[in-house]
Amino acid sequence: MVAWRTGSILVVLLLAVAALTAGAADARHRPASTSVGVGAREYRFAAYRTSAPTGVVRFNLANYGEDGHDLVVETAGGRELARTGEVRAGRRATLRLRLAAGAYRLVCDLADHEARGMRTSFRVTR
Amino acid sequence: MSAVGVAQAAEAVAVEPAPPAAQAARRRRARRGRARRRHGRRRAHARRRAQRPPAGSASWTEAHVRRLFWRAGFGATPAEARRWAKRGKAATLDWVVNGPAGGAQLRGPEPRVEHRALDPLNEWGDDVLWWLDRMIRTTYPLQEKLTLFWHDHFATSDQETPLMLAQNRMLRRRALGSFRDLLGEVTRDPAMQLFLSLADSTKDAPNENYARELMELFTLGKGYSEQDVREAARALTGFTADWHDDGTVTISYDPDEHDDGVKTLLGRRGRLGVDDVLDVVCAHPRHAPFLVDKLWSFFVATPPTRATVRALVATYRASGLRVKPLVRAILEHPQLYRNLDAPDLVKCPVVYVAGALRTTGSHIVEGYPTWLLSTMGQYPFHPPSVAGWDWGPAWMSSNSMRQRFTLGNYIVNYARPRVRRGGAPATLTPQEAYELAWRAVGEPHVSAATRRTLTHLAARFFDDLDPAWRDKADWRGEALQATLRHLLITCPDSQLH
Repeated sequence: MVAWRTGSILVVLLLAVAALTAGAADARHRPASTSVGVGAREYRFAAYRTSAPTGVVRFNLANYGEDGHDLVVETAGGRELARTGEVRAGRRATLRLRLAAGAYRLVCDLADHEARGMRTSFRVTR
Repeated sequence: MSAVGVAQAAEAVAVEPAPPAAQAARRRRARRGRARRRHGRRRAHARRRAQRPPAGSASWTEAHVRRLFWRAGFGATPAEARRWAKRGKAATLDWVVNGPAGGAQLRGPEPRVEHRALDPLNEWGDDVLWWLDRMIRTTYPLQEKLTLFWHDHFATSDQETPLMLAQNRMLRRRALGSFRDLLGEVTRDPAMQLFLSLADSTKDAPNENYARELMELFTLGKGYSEQDVREAARALTGFTADWHDDGTVTISYDPDEHDDGVKTLLGRRGRLGVDDVLDVVCAHPRHAPFLVDKLWSFFVATPPTRATVRALVATYRASGLRVKPLVRAILEHPQLYRNLDAPDLVKCPVVYVAGALRTTGSHIVEGYPTWLLSTMGQYPFHPPSVAGWDWGPAWMSSNSMRQRFTLGNYIVNYARPRVRRGGAPATLTPQEAYELAWRAVGEPHVSAATRRTLTHLAARFFDDLDPAWRDKADWRGEALQATLRHLLITCPDSQLH
């Protein structure tokens, strides 16, 4: 009886360790964030990925234009969530933030750049 | 403890005479060592004989294969050098120029960075790693080498990643085919159209950028006038860039924006359009010598004779301006195989990095090589101007050399040639230590002077150790191996091919 109990406890412990190990392995191999390349030029934004799963999203902005631009992430309703500073021509910047499922807008709010076309939509899905 | 400290401690301990059993063991080890040295000398001699270029030029050796594989690709592995030396020059050239039946494949482990697959569109630097991986794993290296050539020849920069990757795929697809077809695709390529402002060049405001580079850098070099540039610019009008809501772009042709008037270009008169311009420049007498010279200097360090140029021009024209026959003629030219013991073409950074990884059996396992390329002065997809990179000795700046040494550190510590614990006993003879290191880094070309220097280094590496402690100092043997391997990867011989 004692031996059976000891064996049962051992099996439970082994299963728990296995589950923890598997969890750790999953966590190790799960991407920590989703990267989204974004190209900016006068007066366009191109997001090379138009959606991402919920979680941390890393926007990698490259300015291919001749003027300075920035990247502002907004909710569909226009509430600002995060922004880069102004990124000069030929430079790059990264914007990293956690996003819940929903629709978002990427815009450049320098001068009249958004009105001239520097806006695009982005979706986050479960 | 420092190396000197260890040596002093060893001297302090080794004053007692060894017991008889220990002396017998030492004698056995010495006998084994002598036998191993004899065997090593025989193997080294056989290997040097195999490498030695023949007195005549008729035979085909491993040295010839190495030269060809470096010039036409990214180096030969030891197995490739042996295999193709046995098969002869014609068979080797057939394989190098035509590639394997069924087209190029990528062999070996898929590249991974930080436990993830590459994401060339979205992760900075992954586009460069993606191409570098192709150079390392392809079964058709000449195709990648010529893609690199065309990337420099039709240099395009500062364009969006999807456009640059699409251009790269197009250059690869057309790398060895008809030059006229390649030029047609380059002219319509969105990245090029945007880079040289051919897109949205209209009959009311023709932009001369592309017309000028078409003649100066892409097809002729000289022999045209400013009037030819203006007339070509008129004939090339009509392309428009159509931007989509997601920020992507397609290039289309609007006949209403094209100047359909009469033009005169390089002596030909008519209502010339886009393809007429490309036909005229490709048919111009200066085009074939121009491309022959450019391709020749990509593969061979010394200039061609006039007779060689004439023969290559004839080959190119007779083939209908196809690249493959011209490249084959260059690759089989005796001048490419001159001075096999003294390479004279500087490896550009991309070839140096891809070659070091390929020939040592290493793969892309992290993003480090891409940042090294940036500091070495050749960052793919970002040539410095429409004229491409400066080649030759310009690659050997002091900063670039420092980064090449850093690559050596990276390979010795993290790639396949890293020294395994217990894999390099301190009791190896200098020659054995050198041979072990040489094999570990892919049996590269090493001059006699470098070999002597490295063997001398190996001979003096343990001078501060009491001989009685030598067989207990494997960590020093491993340090010697790391040093030798690093020096073999970065020594002057390795900067040339």
